Amino acid sequence: MTDAPTAVILAAGEGRRLAPLTHRRPKPMLPIANRPLLEHVLEAVVAAGIQRVVLVVGYERTRIQTYFGDGDDWGVDVEYAVQEAQLGSGHALLQAESTVDAPFLVLNGDRIIDPTVIEAARRTLTEGDRTATMTVTRSAEPSRYGVVTLEGNRVVDVVEKPVGEPPSELINAGVYGFRQGIFDLLRETGRSPSGEHELTAALEPLLADGGVRARRYDGRWLDVSHLWDLLSVTGAVLDEAGGHAAGQIADGSSVSSSADVAPSAAVAENTTIGRGVTVGENALIGSNAVLERTVVFRDATVHPGAVLRDCIVGANATIGPNATVSGGDATVIVEGEVHEGVELGGVVGDNARVGGGAVLEPGAVIHDDATVGEGAVARGTIEQGTTVRRG
Amino acid sequence: MCGIVGYNGGRAALPILSQGLQNLEYRGYDSAGVALADGDIEVYKRSGEVAELLAALPDDATQRRGIGHTRWSTHGPPTDANAHPHTDCTGQVAVVHNGIVENYDELKAELRGDGHSFTSDTDTEVVPHLIEAALEDGAEPREAVRSAVGRLEGSFAVVASIAGVDALFATRQDSPLVIGHGEDGQFVASDVTAFLGHTREVTYLEDGDFAVIDRDGVTIARGGETVVPDRERLEWEADAAEKGGYDHYMLKEIHEQPAALRQTLSGRLDPDAGTVDLDLSLPEEYVGSLEEVQFVAAGTSNYAARYAAKLIEDLADVRATVEIASEYEFDGGRDPWRTLVVAVTQSGETADTLAAIRKAKRAGARTLAVTNTLGSTVTREVDDSLFIRAGPEIGVAATKTFCSQVATTTMLAVALGRQRGTLSSDRASAVLESLRGLPGGVQQILDRTGEVEEVALELADSDAFFFVGRWLAHPVALEGALKLKEISYDHAEGFAAGELKHGPLALVTAETPVLAVLTEGARAEATLNNVKEVQAREAPVVGVTSGERGGRFVDVEWSVPAAGVLEPLLANVYWQLFAYYVAESKGRSIDKPRNLAKSVTVE
Repeated sequence: MTDAPTAVILAAGEGRRLAPLTHRRPKPMLPIANRPLLEHVLEAVVAAGIQRVVLVVGYERTRIQTYFGDGDDWGVDVEYAVQEAQLGSGHALLQAESTVDAPFLVLNGDRIIDPTVIEAARRTLTEGDRTATMTVTRSAEPSRYGVVTLEGNRVVDVVEKPVGEPPSELINAGVYGFRQGIFDLLRETGRSPSGEHELTAALEPLLADGGVRARRYDGRWLDVSHLWDLLSVTGAVLDEAGGHAAGQIADGSSVSSSADVAPSAAVAENTTIGRGVTVGENALIGSNAVLERTVVFRDATVHPGAVLRDCIVGANATIGPNATVSGGDATVIVEGEVHEGVELGGVVGDNARVGGGAVLEPGAVIHDDATVGEGAVARGTIEQGTTVRRG
Repeated sequence: MCGIVGYNGGRAALPILSQGLQNLEYRGYDSAGVALADGDIEVYKRSGEVAELLAALPDDATQRRGIGHTRWSTHGPPTDANAHPHTDCTGQVAVVHNGIVENYDELKAELRGDGHSFTSDTDTEVVPHLIEAALEDGAEPREAVRSAVGRLEGSFAVVASIAGVDALFATRQDSPLVIGHGEDGQFVASDVTAFLGHTREVTYLEDGDFAVIDRDGVTIARGGETVVPDRERLEWEADAAEKGGYDHYMLKEIHEQPAALRQTLSGRLDPDAGTVDLDLSLPEEYVGSLEEVQFVAAGTSNYAARYAAKLIEDLADVRATVEIASEYEFDGGRDPWRTLVVAVTQSGETADTLAAIRKAKRAGARTLAVTNTLGSTVTREVDDSLFIRAGPEIGVAATKTFCSQVATTTMLAVALGRQRGTLSSDRASAVLESLRGLPGGVQQILDRTGEVEEVALELADSDAFFFVGRWLAHPVALEGALKLKEISYDHAEGFAAGELKHGPLALVTAETPVLAVLTEGARAEATLNNVKEVQAREAPVVGVTSGERGGRFVDVEWSVPAAGVLEPLLANVYWQLFAYYVAESKGRSIDKPRNLAKSVTVE
């Protein structure tokens, strides 16, 4: 036996801002380079020498359980703790209380990180007797996250998504080391104004007397908050690690070295699979199609001659022949917030159909089971199960 | 039908045997036991599940050799006395056995006449006494075991251990046995799952082989010669079998169907060209001259074969029939040269199916196996094997393997149709596109699990359940009913929808839900008339529909996405979930239903 700590990975959340892709799967199961976000996290955990992982699951948890099973394929023991209602990260961690009996690590299941940040947090578990360690990293957009103020190596303040000038560029990297005392703190902490039970709120009582140690981290830290992040994070991961052109790839097709085609996918002849493209399991790309910076989920079908740029094609979705998603800058509204100048050609939800010759204007979001008729032009949001007709 | 495990090596045998028995429990679980051997033999056995035996075992034991057994009764009820291992009068010989000794009555009478006394009702117990008798006559241990098993008639896999002899002896006739070559000892078992945690280097024994299992190696006598065993390396993960957060393997396996199907199909389809590549060596001329494709299979595999037979007649324009494996004879004026006999068996070890395939071989027919298990007995008996690639299935009630069996045999139907020139490339492309759409289609149904659970809870206390369907949905009706009765113990029957009015309609009341398939491939229009017949008798109707087919005539409507001739297969996923939630609401032992075992290795 080894004394490697258990890692608790929080993977119970829904990810509402990523709708429609999170209607049927939790955010940690979104594919990045043909592997779920959570698999990237799990691999970093395994690379850091961890041998036992507890996944806190909740929203659409069967997707996670079916994929990861008992962890055998990754050489790690995976167990599950269930958060029945999504009441925040603090509440999620409480669900894992009975599964850990020694100092342990906690990670978010939806951020791509390097093993070094886990190793850093791990080292502090055996040092001193502080209740908590928080890893911190620098961000170009600190106000989107929990902004951290340090004194020496102690965390003295954490402000979630500050309005106005952020107090620093350092943010909470979401990898923690904890002792058992954290569970009492979590129980004593009330809910936030939004009704959620946040993990960082439970740390507040410790901040004043230096109970939270900071560990700096300057490696990879990739977050998928919005639909367009799926494309940029996929591109970043493929640029760094390269892709694999597996599957049945017909003659005359070109697959970029920064693209990934799953082993059971098929690409017909004279197709161009450009940079930042991934083609999922059992997906089919028809002849003469051109894909750039596009994520095709598993079981999807792209018919011949389609042109897709900056596009997300959901699972089992169908893109008709010669349909066009021309890509480019778009304005997208997510949960009432307007985002201008984002690179998003269009999103086609699970099981949705885009007819032959149809066009998606930049930023169009077609929800699950919706249909864009032949030759129709879709813009904005097309609600679940509805049909857009030509003319 | 039982599970055997044995170990001889440098480590303590007890934990290896206990784990092996737990892994084998799917083969039978009404009693279990182990015998630990060194200069003496210690036997522990209990009726009930393996857990009851484990509770009765010592915490640790020093013996480095032993045999274990989990039993599913054929001769004698499940009692402590009838549990294996069985011993001789002196307690120095212990034997575990899977199969049936057909001449045990006469052997028992003879041994009794010689003064041997018996403590169980089993056929097995004659074996240790025969070995004892041979030892008394002065035979060497190896010869004593050989001569004893030489007297047995029937089907058997036997492993014997003798006090003070540092070897295990193993032999088989029509029952599976496999040797595992570990770094620190040798293993023998009915199935590799018993020792996969320790080694993946294996040797499958053949009928008539006699193996002597020493600590550091195995010698096999085959047909009078000593042979060096061929070793194979297995790829399956040892404990791919753990439940991964699900309450039951069955639910886990239902949810694994999209992934299993992607594996089934991977690299085999070219929907654009309308071709499939199954890597079979069926000669062109032979396929062209075929008069009949004859399936032999049992249980759920039989229903998958019925689905396949209907598709083969439709797509490949050749007569296709399905025989229940245990009823099979090669007769009826068939020309063996123009008959392809296809065995469908998940495990590849189903005794009834193996017996049938041997009859077909004796008659001179070409044989093909459709199975999930590389290296299984059936693959060594047939001319060609076609693997369904569904991955290990642990739940006794088959789910993902049914789905993958139908998908695989659909590809076979297309391959035969194309090779025979009876299937246009357009139609082939359409069927292959439907096949490729299966994983996504199944996932859409899984996404609606909650709705199925609600309806299942509402209907769980009904008097009986009737599943109906036509054409490709008839086998699905049979499979839906089988699944429900296997795991919920409710009365359920599947009927061809048109047969209702010829009898079963008399059973239909307001307390007997009727579950109907109203999709493409199921002659939905005709079935709707039958739905109206049962509605007139106030039976609640659950209908699986597609497109615009008849939703307004049913009380509960579940839809499947367009999938052509595979829509009834998608409907079956609803029936699987329905059976699961009915059984779960009643607290049934879903993964190990009473009286049933996964791989039925007795006839």
